[in-house]
Amino acid sequence: MSESAIELENVSLTFPRRKSLVKLVLGLFQKQENEFTALDRINLVIKQGEIIGVIGTNGCGKSTLLRIISGIYPPDQGHCKVNGNISLLAGLGTGFSGHQTGRENAILYGSILGYSEEKIVTKLPEIISFSELEEFIDEPIRTYSAGMKARLGLAVASAIQPEILLIDEVLGVGDPTFKEKSTNRIMEMVQEAGTVVIVSHSFGMLSKICDRIVLMEKGKIIQEGDPSKVIQTYYNRAKKINKEVVE
Amino acid sequence: MWAPISNVKALFGNIFLVRNLVRREVRGKYRNTILGYAWTVIEPTLLSVVYWFLFIMLAGNPDENYAVWVLIGVIVWTCFGKSLMSSVTSLSGNTRMIHLVFFPRIIFPATAVLANIVIAIMSSLVIIPIIIAYGFPFEIHLILIPTSILISGFMGMGLGIMFAPLNCIQKDVEHLFRFIVRAGFFVSPIMWTYEMALERGVYGDLVLWNPMVVPITMARHGLVGKWPDMPVDSIIYSICMAILFWIIGSIIFHKYEREAVKHL
Repeated sequence: MSESAIELENVSLTFPRRKSLVKLVLGLFQKQENEFTALDRINLVIKQGEIIGVIGTNGCGKSTLLRIISGIYPPDQGHCKVNGNISLLAGLGTGFSGHQTGRENAILYGSILGYSEEKIVTKLPEIISFSELEEFIDEPIRTYSAGMKARLGLAVASAIQPEILLIDEVLGVGDPTFKEKSTNRIMEMVQEAGTVVIVSHSFGMLSKICDRIVLMEKGKIIQEGDPSKVIQTYYNRAKKINKEVVE
Repeated sequence: MWAPISNVKALFGNIFLVRNLVRREVRGKYRNTILGYAWTVIEPTLLSVVYWFLFIMLAGNPDENYAVWVLIGVIVWTCFGKSLMSSVTSLSGNTRMIHLVFFPRIIFPATAVLANIVIAIMSSLVIIPIIIAYGFPFEIHLILIPTSILISGFMGMGLGIMFAPLNCIQKDVEHLFRFIVRAGFFVSPIMWTYEMALERGVYGDLVLWNPMVVPITMARHGLVGKWPDMPVDSIIYSICMAILFWIIGSIIFHKYEREAVKHL
């Protein structure tokens, strides 16, 4: 199994900047920056079975990287090759409909995530028991608290075992007891999935489970390699930037 | 594969998802209301009462079935207008979902339009008491009513998805279309009928250029128990327009949606 699971070759992605009418007219006379570079010539090969962490300050392109891998955005330049089925764990519960019951929403959310009908029907009892929402499952979801919704979302999203798992900052949802349970569940998924890419700010957890960490800054990969070393670099650079700001 | 066909395939390939999304739209709309689904009937009925009053004030004594004609016009036109608007906003209005999951994006406009069609067909149940009250024949021709709803929804979707990618870039498109739906209300036979236009001579031919004249008139003719009593070529023209909109819309949507969602 030395085959690579994800190959990013020279991947660039720019986002257009939104402009007002005034700016559009001004643009005729003066030079303006039209684009924002979210990813700048990214090269990254992830082998099958590897667990990779991605760190960096807010807005450095971590989530965009996951979206490229999951096929939400096509790259402007370069190639992104993926071997295996992917699941992106992010924004749990997107698409929930407040007027429908928990059960209906579990089915709805499952279908949004791409489950087949049989699969969701067979997994439903497991989903309900994991979410610990048995007594509320036939209530409309608008009566749920935010934590309850997140629990249901995680229960559904974690019911599949993808070959490649992408996680975007969803560790630990719900109250403290459920938080532990949800973290454990994600860890279980991480163990079961062949390949994992995790975007997170919990460095302690990352250094424990990751084989490699990638540090990003302004859409570029600054460093990749041994977790503790890369995290050290992150802190060093953050200090340097802070100093510059202070001075 | 050719976009107009691959889009249809994508819908059938994700039929479970489509069903769930349509259910969400339809359920979501009338929950939390005492009258629930009855609103699908109440809304067009109240509207046609208002237009009926308006018409009496403006034109005096109308045809005795005038209120019924307006009601049918309102139902079919609302299906078209809402399908058009929800297709135009299908990408820009689903930003959060687009950023998180990947399935063929034609599903967004398609489910919104299917939900509108379902709601319009529920609205059209209002014709049952009307048939009884006015003594219209209860015949096979009634099938023209759901057919015309389907055509108008389909036409709205085709036209709408042509502009859905553009609306991600500039929301002005949405406002323009809101105006078009409002203006279209008056140039389509909702407050008037095809027969009224015929009485005005040249207008009878002129209005047939509007592809929505055929579906609305078809539904009205279905109610009185006859097949559409209009020139055959204008019926063919109208259906061809709906198909043409779908073809052009599909191609544009397919080509530009991936680039357009970057603007969201």
